[in-house]
Formats: sequence, C-alpha cells, structure tokens
Amino acid sequence: MEATLTAQLRTERGKGAARTMRREGRVPAVVYGHGEETRELALDTREIERLLSSISVENTLIQLTVGSEEPVRTLIREVQWHPFKPILLHVDLYQIRRGERIHLEIPVRLNGNPIGVREEGGVLQHVRHDLEVACLPRAIPERIEVDVSQLSIGDSVHVRDIEIEDVEILADADLTICTVVAPTRVEEPEPEEGEEPAEPTVVGAEEEEAEAVEEEVDRE
Amino acid sequence: MLAPKRIKYRKQMKGRMRGKAYRGNTVDFGDYGLQALEPGRISNRTIEAARIAMTRHIKRGGKVWIRIFPDKPVTKKPLEVRMGKGKGNPESWVAVVKPGRIMFELEGVTPEVAKRAMELAAAKMPVKCRFVERDGGGEG
Repeated sequence: MEATLTAQLRTERGKGAARTMRREGRVPAVVYGHGEETRELALDTREIERLLSSISVENTLIQLTVGSEEPVRTLIREVQWHPFKPILLHVDLYQIRRGERIHLEIPVRLNGNPIGVREEGGVLQHVRHDLEVACLPRAIPERIEVDVSQLSIGDSVHVRDIEIEDVEILADADLTICTVVAPTRVEEPEPEEGEEPAEPTVVGAEEEEAEAVEEEVDRE
Repeated sequence: MLAPKRIKYRKQMKGRMRGKAYRGNTVDFGDYGLQALEPGRISNRTIEAARIAMTRHIKRGGKVWIRIFPDKPVTKKPLEVRMGKGKGNPESWVAVVKPGRIMFELEGVTPEVAKRAMELAAAKMPVKCRFVERDGGGEG
C-alpha cells in the first residue's frame, strides 16, 4: 500500500515558530534517512490528519513530494500528539532507499474466535500488538494475520509460530503474541469493616533500632 | 487495597500537580482505556471502588489493568486538635494523576460493555475522564 503526501521546506525552528505554524494549519515535520541530510518540513494539518486516519501508520510507504522536487519514498517513524487533546504536534518521516533492508513494526491481527472463548468461557488476551521485523521496502507486509480459532484455555501463540515470506522477525522467538486464559472470578470477598490496612515497613528503621540496641549493650 | 509494601519515609510533602502526563498517556495493554483530563489525587479507596464497579459490570471475561499506583502518603491531624505540634499521621495513600494519564485499561469485552464499565468507573473518579480506544483519534 502506498500513499502520497506533499510538504514544504521550512527554515524556522523552535517552539515559537512551531506554535505559529500549528495555529496557521501546518504541522512541523522532519525527514531523514540513511545517508540523507536531515530536512525540516511543514505539512498541511488537514492532509496529514486525513492520511493518518486512513492508513496503518507504521508500515505504509508514503510518496513524499517536497516543494517541486521529485517524490521520495518514506515511512512515518513517529507521530507526536498532544497528551490528551487531538492536536498533532510533529511527524518524523524516514526516507528509504531501494534495495536497503529496513526495520519497522508491523501490526498483528488476530483472526477467528478461539474455542477457549467460544465454548469454555475463557478470555483471549492480545499481549503483543506489533512485531518488529526487517525486510526490503517491496516486501513490507500490511499486517501479520494470526489464526486463533483453534486455541483452547491455556494455549498461546508465540513469535516462533509465525513465518512470513521475505520478512525476518526480529522480536524474541519466545515472546507471546496472544493467549487464552481462564476467566477471572466474578467477585472477591469484601474486606471486613474496620479492618486496618497493613502498615508498610519503613526502610532503614529496623537497622536504626538494631544499632541503638548495640550501642546500649556497648555502654553496659 | 493498593499500598506500598516498603517505604523509605512515612510522610511526604504535599507537592504540586503541574503539567500534563507526558508518559502513560497511551493505551498500551488493553483495547480500551479511561483517561484523566484534569490533575488530581486518586486514593486507593477510589481506585478499588472503580475496579469493583468495572469488574461487576463486565461480569466474567475481560481483563482489567490498573495503570496508576497510590504511592504517596497523605497525612491528617486528629479532630479537635490545635494547629502546630508537628505533622499529622499518615491517613491514606493516593496516586497523583495529571491530565492525559490512562488510569484503567480493559480487554476482552465488546466496545459497548467497555464504554459502560468505564463510565461507571469514571463516576467514582474525582477528575474529569474520557473513554479512549487503542489508536483512536490520535489519543490512543
């Protein structure tokens, strides 16, 4: 899958300039890559927001056109959002070269309803939502599909169970991708009224007491 | 109820709750989250009440993550005691929460059940909250 994006070079730097840009409907961005010079860019807020909502951000190739230059192939490396408002702060673009292996994260999708959930009342836990892989730009998978329909309670899928053509999975082979666990108990017994919570131990207090006792013994 | 097992000092200064949550502001474990939109102190009783409200609503199935921990002791002077004579006794434990913080996460339930469970939990909270989904609208 490929998408297109246009950008303008920018010369202003710093938070004041960045804030002005955001007020004017532009988002600061940067493009860098292996052997390429880092360049600061400005993106159109509406265009980039529409793009981000329509693609899988980490693994979609983007044809980036800077000003009137020839388009280059890039990947989105990082998107910075405001901690709780839907305000886009900054975008990192990574320029890739034909024939050079790249490292990136691919989303993992679980397909099917496990037997353990359907018939045994278990819960499917999706532990790892992305996997780090290395591959050539032309072989970037859109997603990693995992069939979970045959899993019973206690079964899990690990990284070693996955194989994709032309793609090397860099994540540890023993990592769990998903597992079906027994359901948690409905309700725990309520603590009795007036029960005092246990006091935490104060680190160092025991040693001080022991020292004080020793001193007394010495004096005697 | 949540409380530290070992501590270095029994009493702490009250501190200030300035700024935003620059960490812990994305849904990382489950599929749905409850995000704080204001700063506040969440006591271990409140966390427990919210957890119970959520687990009761989702009944069986589903998994709940609590992403805040009450590690700050709050002291209180006894009733009808004049000011002075030192700081009061530790009374409760609180978690300091800044806007943006994901406090709870849920997985293994339908979006409708998750939303309602989070609403019930939010009703216990002393701060304004919002229901968020993984990778949803830039917050996730």
